[in-house]
Amino acid sequence: MTAPPAVEIRQLVKEFRTSFRREPLRAVDDVSITIQPGEIYGLIGPNGSGKSTTMKALLGLIAPTSGHCAIFGKDSLKVDSRDDVGFLPENPYFYKHLTGAETLRFYGKLCGLSGKTLRDRVGELLALVDLESARDRRIGGYSKGMLQRIGLAQALVQEPRLVILDEPTAGVDPIGSRQIRDLILKLGERGITVFLCSHLLEQVQEVCDRVGIIFRGKLVKEGALEELIAIEDQTEIILRDASAELLAEIEMLAARHGARWLHAGKPRTTLERLFLRETLGDDR
Amino acid sequence: MTAAPTKRPPFLRARRIGEIALHAFTQLVRMKVFYFLVVFAAILLASNLIELPQHAGPESVGAGILRSIKSWSLGTMTLFSVVLGITATALLLPKDVEDRTLYTILAKPVPRLDYLTGKLLGVLLLIFLSLALMDGLMTATLQWRTTMVLDHQTQVALSQGWPPEETAALRAEILAQGPTWSLQGAVLAVFFRAVVMAAIALLLSTFSTSTLFTVIVSFLIYFIGHFQADALEFARHAGEAGQSTAARTFAGAIGLILPNFQIFNVIDAVIQGTPMAPALLGKLAALSGYYFILYLFSSWFVFAKKEF
Repeated sequence: MTAPPAVEIRQLVKEFRTSFRREPLRAVDDVSITIQPGEIYGLIGPNGSGKSTTMKALLGLIAPTSGHCAIFGKDSLKVDSRDDVGFLPENPYFYKHLTGAETLRFYGKLCGLSGKTLRDRVGELLALVDLESARDRRIGGYSKGMLQRIGLAQALVQEPRLVILDEPTAGVDPIGSRQIRDLILKLGERGITVFLCSHLLEQVQEVCDRVGIIFRGKLVKEGALEELIAIEDQTEIILRDASAELLAEIEMLAARHGARWLHAGKPRTTLERLFLRETLGDDR
Repeated sequence: MTAAPTKRPPFLRARRIGEIALHAFTQLVRMKVFYFLVVFAAILLASNLIELPQHAGPESVGAGILRSIKSWSLGTMTLFSVVLGITATALLLPKDVEDRTLYTILAKPVPRLDYLTGKLLGVLLLIFLSLALMDGLMTATLQWRTTMVLDHQTQVALSQGWPPEETAALRAEILAQGPTWSLQGAVLAVFFRAVVMAAIALLLSTFSTSTLFTVIVSFLIYFIGHFQADALEFARHAGEAGQSTAARTFAGAIGLILPNFQIFNVIDAVIQGTPMAPALLGKLAALSGYYFILYLFSSWFVFAKKEF
């Protein structure tokens, strides 16, 4: 028997009633997404395109108008589908009166953890998200990046096989953003399925195996990232210490074989990489 | 990392509800609601200085103070418990929605009924503990004043040469105004009333769009609840007078849905020193339990369909 997909969204339609007599607003229109275990899937689209609504339907926070959502084969509208899922909402505000460690303990207890297991898990997660030094500080005093990281930790508290992240880096500075991106990659290495939505395209490109583009409620494009962004009729060669003569020779060779020389120049780093190198000495 | 639990631990639901309740309790405590106890202590102190008007002879001197202490204390307890029951319950749910903390909770394997029950029990735990503290203060003050009044009146009786049986009757009368089991029953009645009001506020907050609306309508229901008995009376008389069945049914339905808060006024009799029958306390407990379950499940019915 084959294992069920981590996420199965079939022909999802979600309409919201606006005012009396008006046509209902169709936020999600016939969206189907399947995510296999271990994949990092990015759903991208502009604000108001239906990303968050799709995620909420998957989590059972809203009921589909039609269609079906399942997590590891379990109907999203059933409570037990949430046994294996962690969720980080967009701009989360946790209980300000709790400390970081208390927050994780609270969510852990909701998932049935207790005693030493819970204590160990809280310690591991605080180390994972690099918040050990802030474990006994009230959440009210956390920065935006710290909030996102504690949010990610709470999403992981019961060690779910699927993590759903809604705009995980929204409003976070480049350093915090990089930390979250690294965490997502770590989750992928551990075999955890990640379903994230964002409108920060570069970040999605950096972490995702597959992406879907949603626009006005419809999934307009979907596939493996490398396939989607590769320009099939072009080839990139990057050389170190190439002389002008060598480049001229390659250009002539290319012309002899009927290929057209389009561009040669210095590759550029991104502004984010430059910022991280200058502030943290991070040369990745 | 350690492995995720594969089996659900026993009593998981009860533990989860307990955790949500404890969390709601902590949340409210950290909102500094216990400062109200300072106000209560001040009121209690003031009540020691006010003697309620009385038309009895000199043998009743001091008993008025005892009644004043009970009256002010139970009045303040009622005010505190009803206000807290309504406002705290009306506040907790919308706050979780607004802060999106509700998303993170409901995205865990937490049934919506458990969430609602936990929140409500958290508020009730806070009210119960606050009432217990206030009760402790009231009982201690009352005990101290009763001893004083008793000593004074016994001396007066002895100096006036009262027969022993009359002195004993006087002592019994004064003791009835002191801390009694009936008084503890009255405090429980105050708590039961708050239970019903908190459950009503919970139901309203599941479909209300503003905390203010929930609070206002809850207080309105509290007010109407004091006329519920009149509605039932009307139903009975309408039947006798041959009025319409619809009117009788309507009045009867109001009686079933809206609690009769008049029956909680047994507290007044306790303040006057009348003992409260245990059966009456049982009846109040049963009624509160009925409305608690009715409103909790009605809240769940609305909340289960709610989209976030």
